[in-house]
Amino acid sequence: MFSIAAVSAVFAVGCGGEKGDGADAASKGKAQATVVVYVSEDQVFSEPILKDFERDTGIRVKAVYDTEETKSTGAMNRLIAEKGNPQADVYWANEPIRAEVLKRKGVSEPYFSPNAKGIPAGFKDSEGCWTGFSARARVFVVAAGAKEKPSGLSAYTDPKWKGRAAIANPLFGTTTSEIAALFAVWGDAKAKKFMAGMKANGVKVTSDNGESADAVASGKVDFSLVDSDDAINRIRRGEKLDLVYPDQGVGGLGTFIVPNAVVLIKGCPHPEAARKLMDYLLSKETERKLALADCAQIPLHSGVEGPPELKPMDGIKAMRVDYAEVADKMVETQPFLKSWLGL
Amino acid sequence: MARSARLEEAMKEDVLRLDDVSKSYGGTTVLEGVSLRVGTGERLVALGPSGCGKTTILRLVAGFVAPDSGRILVNGRAVSENGRVLAPPERRGLGMVFQDLALWPHMTVSGNIEFGLKARGTPRSERAKRAADALALVDMSGYGARKPSELSGGQRQRVALARALVLEPALLLMDEPLSSLDSDLKRRLTDEILSLHGKLGFAMVYVTHDRDEAARLASRVVVMERGRVEFDGTPDNAFSGR
Amino acid sequence: MGRRVFFLSVLAVLTAVCALPVLSMLYRSVHIDGRFTLSAYSGVLDSGRQWRLMWNSVSLAGSVALATVLAGVPLGVLFGKTEMPFRRLLSAAFVVPLLVPPYVLAVSWADLLGCGGDGALDGFSGCALVHFSVFLPVPMILTMVFLRTVDTRLEEAARLVSGWRGALFGVTLPLILPGILLSGILVFLLSFGEIGVPNYFRYDVFPLESFIQFSAFYNFEAATAAAAPSLAVAVALLGLERVFLRDKTRAPRILYGEGGFTRIHLGRRGGVIAAVCALLAVAVVAAPLSALVAEAGGGPAYAEALERAGGSLLRSFVYASIGGACVAVLGFLVGYIIHAKAVPGWRMADTLTIFAFALPSSVVGIGLISLWNHPWSNLVYATPAIVILGYLAKYAALGSRITLARLRGLPASMEEAARISGAGWFRSMAMIVVPLSARALLAGWLVGYIFSLRDTGITMLVYPPGHETLPVRIFTLMANGSRELISAMCVIMTAAALLPLGVGLALWRVPRVWRRR
Repeated sequence: MFSIAAVSAVFAVGCGGEKGDGADAASKGKAQATVVVYVSEDQVFSEPILKDFERDTGIRVKAVYDTEETKSTGAMNRLIAEKGNPQADVYWANEPIRAEVLKRKGVSEPYFSPNAKGIPAGFKDSEGCWTGFSARARVFVVAAGAKEKPSGLSAYTDPKWKGRAAIANPLFGTTTSEIAALFAVWGDAKAKKFMAGMKANGVKVTSDNGESADAVASGKVDFSLVDSDDAINRIRRGEKLDLVYPDQGVGGLGTFIVPNAVVLIKGCPHPEAARKLMDYLLSKETERKLALADCAQIPLHSGVEGPPELKPMDGIKAMRVDYAEVADKMVETQPFLKSWLGL
Repeated sequence: MARSARLEEAMKEDVLRLDDVSKSYGGTTVLEGVSLRVGTGERLVALGPSGCGKTTILRLVAGFVAPDSGRILVNGRAVSENGRVLAPPERRGLGMVFQDLALWPHMTVSGNIEFGLKARGTPRSERAKRAADALALVDMSGYGARKPSELSGGQRQRVALARALVLEPALLLMDEPLSSLDSDLKRRLTDEILSLHGKLGFAMVYVTHDRDEAARLASRVVVMERGRVEFDGTPDNAFSGR
Repeated sequence: MGRRVFFLSVLAVLTAVCALPVLSMLYRSVHIDGRFTLSAYSGVLDSGRQWRLMWNSVSLAGSVALATVLAGVPLGVLFGKTEMPFRRLLSAAFVVPLLVPPYVLAVSWADLLGCGGDGALDGFSGCALVHFSVFLPVPMILTMVFLRTVDTRLEEAARLVSGWRGALFGVTLPLILPGILLSGILVFLLSFGEIGVPNYFRYDVFPLESFIQFSAFYNFEAATAAAAPSLAVAVALLGLERVFLRDKTRAPRILYGEGGFTRIHLGRRGGVIAAVCALLAVAVVAAPLSALVAEAGGGPAYAEALERAGGSLLRSFVYASIGGACVAVLGFLVGYIIHAKAVPGWRMADTLTIFAFALPSSVVGIGLISLWNHPWSNLVYATPAIVILGYLAKYAALGSRITLARLRGLPASMEEAARISGAGWFRSMAMIVVPLSARALLAGWLVGYIFSLRDTGITMLVYPPGHETLPVRIFTLMANGSRELISAMCVIMTAAALLPLGVGLALWRVPRVWRRR
C-alpha cells in the first residue's frame, strides 16, 4: 500500500544519510563516531559549543533542542518516555532540578568526569549522576538609575512596592525551582506566608522571565526576579536596566544559583562519545565561552574569565541549598502553586 | 451478430430463477416470498409503483445485495441464497442498464464500452472491433471518441445499451432506463430495444412504472405491489381487465 | 474475499497508526504500577474552578468556530464559486496565518493593539482574535472543496426561479452543510486544544492542566487523564453532527460535475467585493504579518535565518509533502470503508481518527514513543518515518472526512456498473472510483500538507535527533533568539510554504473532465 511504501521511502532516505556518512568515514579508514545530546539550554547558546566540539573532536553531534516550557512539552518528557530504549547519550540541562528528576526516574547513570574536580561540591551530585557548570544567578532587574532598589526577596511583600513588582509564572522554569528552594530553606509555613504576602501585595505574574524583564524595561513594574542572562541580554541590547543580587547582607538568605547540569543517560547508545562530550562541556574553556557569550553565565571553576557585568561566583553569597531537596519540594509545592495561581 | 454457441446452450434452461426470495431494509419488508422464472429470450417486464420492490429485485439478481431468505439462480447456478452472495456481480455474466445510465464521465464512449472487455482480458484488437460492432448495433458508429457529457439523452441511452450488450450477456437487466426521456424518444428507443432483442435473443428483465412501455416491450408481465407478485402472465391478460 | 482482506488490513494500519497511541495512553492512565485504578482521574473536573476552566475553553472554541464559519463560508463561496478578481491571491493570503506558529501571531497582535490592562487585548479577546485569524482558512478551504461536489444542474433549476441568491441559499449551501459542519467541528477542536496563545494572554483554559502535568510533573498518566475530557468533547461534537445530518445524507441520483461547474458572474460588483475582502485580509492577515516583517528588519536577519534554518527548511517540505500524501491515501481508504460500511468496525474507524485529532499532541506523541521506541522497531523510530507516522496519526481524520464528502456525492451505480461489467473490486476502484475522486485526493493532500507543515506538538516529541523541521527550529530558537531572527524565520517559512501550495492550487484545475461546453 502506498502509505507503507511512502513510509519505507522516508526511512530509507533517513537511513541513507547515515550510511552515507559511514561509507565516507570508512574510506578515510576510521569510523565516524556520533553522539546524541538532548539540550535544554537555549539553542542560540548551546549550538555553538556543540559545533565547536564537533570541529575539535570530529565526533558528529546530533542534537534535540528544547523549547521554553510554556510553549511545548519537550526534551525532558522525551527522555523519560524513551527510558526503555534510550536514544540520547547526554542530557544538557539548564538547571539541576531536572537532572535530579532524571536521577529519581532511573534515567541517568553516574559519571565522574576528570573536569568535574574543579567544581564546588554544592554544585554537583555526590553520586555522580549530574555535574553542574556555567551558572546563572537569580537576580532583581531594575530600571537603571532607580532611586530605590529592592535588596532582598522581602521586597515582594513590602507595601511600598505594592503593585510594582513582577514575577514569572511560578509553575515553570527557574522560578519554580527558586520557590521550591524557599520552601526547602524556610520551611513550608514561612514560605506559604511569603507567597500569600506576595499575592496580597499585587504582584504581576508574567509568562516567563523574558517578559518580566521587558516589563521592567518598559516601566510597567519597578523590579522583578529574573535569571541573570535575561538581564544581561537586555542590558547589552541597550535597555536601561540594572541588576541587584538579592539578600547579600550579613545573615541574608543569599542569591539562588542555577547551574547548567550535564547528565549521562543510562544505557545510551554511544557511551564513549558521551563521556568525551561531557568532559568537553565541563571544561574551563567551555565555561569561558559561555561566560563571554550573550548568555553571560558565571563559571564555577575558579580562575576562569567571567562575564564582565557579573560578579565571579566566589564574590556572590549563594543561597545554601541541597538541589536534591529542592527537587523533592518542587513536586510537593505544585498543588499549592496551582491554587496560588488560581488554577 | 449470429447467435453464439453459449446462447444456444443457455436456451436449454431457465436463465433466471427466484425461489421464495424475501428482503427487508431496516424494519421495512421490501420483498416477500417472491418467486419468478425467466426463460431464454423472454422479455419480462416488472411493473409497479415506486417502492413496490421492483428495483430491489434487479439489485438482488445483479448481486449488489443478498436476499434475506430464498435462492437466486442464474443459468441453473445458485448465485445468492439466504443472506449470502455466492457469486459476485462480476462473475454472473449479466448486463445491466442503470436508471441513471452510470456512464463513466472520465472515459470516452469507446472507453466505456471496452471496459468490460478489458476486464476479461480480451486482446486489444478484438476489443476495438467488438466495441465498433456494438456501436454500429445501436446506430452510434463514429461516436467512439466523444465523452458522455457531449451526448444527448437518447444517445447516452444507446451507449449504455451497447456497453451492456457488447459482453453478450444471457440476461439483460434494465432499471427504468427511459424514465427521463420524452415520449417520442421513448417510443423510438423501445422499438430499438425490441429490434436488438430480435437480433441477439437475450433474456431481459425490464423494470418500469410505465404501462405503455410494459405493453410494448413485454413478452411476460409481472405486476408487483408492496413487495409481492400480484400478477404474473402475458401482457394481454395484464392489461385486458384494467 | 480479497476485498475484505484488503479492508481489514487498512483497518489494521489505521489501528496501528491512530488508535494504538491513543488507546495505549488511555490504558496507561488507568493501569498504574500494575493495578487498575482511576486515581489519575481523581483530580479531573473535580472542582468548581476546573469546570470554569472547561467553560472558558468551550466558550472560546465555540466562539472561534462560529466566527470562522460565519466569515469563512462566504469567503469560500466568493473565492471558490465566483469570478471575483484576485480571488486566488486573496485565498492564498488568508491561508498564511495558518502557517505561522500561533504564539508568534499572538505576540504580533499584542504589539499592534496593546495587551493587558491598558491595551485593547486581554484574555478572551486576545485569544479569540488570534485563533480567528489562524483558523479562518479551515472553513474557507473546506467550503471551496465541498462546493465542487454540487452539480450545476441542481442549481440551474433554482436559478430559473430566483437567480443565484435562491440557488445558493436554497440548493448549494444546504448541499454542502455537512462540509460546513465538519469545518466548524475541526476549528472547535483546534481552538480547544491550542494552549500557546491562551498561555500568552493568560486566559486559563482546560487543556492547560494536561500540559502542566507534562511540563511540571512529567506525569504521563495524570496528563492523559487530564486530557480525557477533550475526548468527551469530541464525542459530543460527533453526536451533534450526527443529529444535524441525520436526514441530509441521501444517496444522490446524478453524478456531480457531469453538468460542469458554473461560476457566479459578479459584474461590476466584483471589484467592490474584492476590495472588501482585501480590507478584511489587511485587517486579519496583513496587519500582524507586517508587524512580523517589520520586526525582521533587513537582509542580515534573513541571512542569519536561512543559515540557522539549515536543512530544516527542506526537511519540512519533504516531510510535509509525504505526510500529506499519506494522509490523502490512508484517508481515502478509511473514508471509503466508512462510506461503504465495508467491514464491521467501520464506525469506530471514524471515531478513532477524530479522537486522535482531538487529543493533545503531547499525549499522542508520548503514545507514539511508548509504542514504537523498541530495539526491534528502531528502523521506524530512529528515522523520519516516525514523524510521518505522527502526522498520519494526528491528521488522518482530515483525509477521511474529505474523501467521505466526495464519495457521498458519487452515485453507487458508478461502481456497480463496473462490477457488473466484469471488473473485480480492485479494478473498479482503480479505474473508476479513484479517477472520479482525483480532486478529493488532491484536496486531502493539500490539507494534510498544511497541517503537517505547521505541526510542532507531535514533531517536537518524536523527530530523530538532527532531523528537526522548521517550525520546531523556530520554537527552539524562540528561547532567547532575537525577535528579528524569529520574525525572519516565520516570514521565510510562510513565503516558502506558499510555493507548493501554489503548485497544488494550479493542479486543482487539471481534472477538467466535466468542463461544460
